[in-house]
Amino acid sequence: MGTILNPLYFAVSWVIVTFHSLLGYVVGKDSHESIKWSLSIIGLVILIRIILIPLFVKQIKSQRALTALQPHMKEIQKKHKDDRQKQSEEMMKLYKEHKTNPLASCFPILAQAPIFFALFTVLNGIARNTPHGFLKGDLLVSAQQAKFFGANLSSTFLSSNTNTQTKLVTVALIIFMSATTFTTQRQLMVKGMPKMDSSNNMMLQQQKIMLYVFPVIFAVSGVNFPVGVLIYWSTTNLWTFGQQFYVIKRNPTPGSPAYEELMKKRAAKNKDSGVLPETTEESGTTQIDPAIGQRQQPSKKKKKKK
Amino acid sequence: MRKTFAALIKFYQTWISPMFGPRCKYYPSCSKYAADAVTEYGVRGFAMAAWRLVRCNPWSHGGVDYVLTKSSKQPIKTGAN
Repeated sequence: MGTILNPLYFAVSWVIVTFHSLLGYVVGKDSHESIKWSLSIIGLVILIRIILIPLFVKQIKSQRALTALQPHMKEIQKKHKDDRQKQSEEMMKLYKEHKTNPLASCFPILAQAPIFFALFTVLNGIARNTPHGFLKGDLLVSAQQAKFFGANLSSTFLSSNTNTQTKLVTVALIIFMSATTFTTQRQLMVKGMPKMDSSNNMMLQQQKIMLYVFPVIFAVSGVNFPVGVLIYWSTTNLWTFGQQFYVIKRNPTPGSPAYEELMKKRAAKNKDSGVLPETTEESGTTQIDPAIGQRQQPSKKKKKKK
Repeated sequence: MRKTFAALIKFYQTWISPMFGPRCKYYPSCSKYAADAVTEYGVRGFAMAAWRLVRCNPWSHGGVDYVLTKSSKQPIKTGAN
């Protein structure tokens, strides 16, 4: 395991060390070590999330293409009202036919997991005085003394030498993590997803339970994580929240409450300016429309045959 | 071994997967596919499941993709997604 992850240790530690030395030019080469190390971890998150932005844009684009598929989706939902399995199956068929799939796949998570694990090891290395990658020698000593609001980056809630300040900071970070995840999930469930019949929807019920289980999971695992990892986690959660907020406001999933809100807003705007609704559609959708319009017919024929 | 794996998948589906929301590009989802594949094919099922995970990427269009039974090559449609 260690040898496979070794290149990642180098990559992660290189990014942190580089951010640290770059920040040296801003706040002073040999001062403000605590701020520099804390911001370096946040910088790592921002870098990773920026790298993942193209995937996010791709997802938004396919979500926009869904607008054109709306009538089909409604038809499927009506046709297989009592059979969720058939409903999902038909939905996937529809996506494939139109070569657009709004789902993200596991890739973004699977890509981030090893980085998270490597960061965990590197930060733990600081606590245990074991060098990893580029984080060694003087840098390691300097990082060991770095603090985030008075808590050592490398200490955990449960470690024996932890003071009250560290406990307060870790608890605050765990609460922050739970709060951002809770609001992100809730916002998605309340506004971002197409309305479904909740009585026969196991998934929705499960998600509702999970909403309240997360904070517990975070609390249990968070007390074992060094402050540096908690900073990483909190920043990622905050970024996810912001990203989703943007999507729900500007590019909501068709059929969701947020989508209807946006449509109402646009309709009201059109009334005010006296423009026909069709002409104000965003260029992205109008470009996709004709291509999909042509492909719609074969799928209808297929359904009639059944 | 097959039962243990199915139980592991069940655990993932109940406790871990909801954390990320629905995100699989395929139907049935990769986790259901993996459970079916290993139950039906044993060790070979692992390879099938791994290949499915690779296929389920941001550049894929997804679709409907069932595990077929060993004997009659019929799609396995039982159980929740």
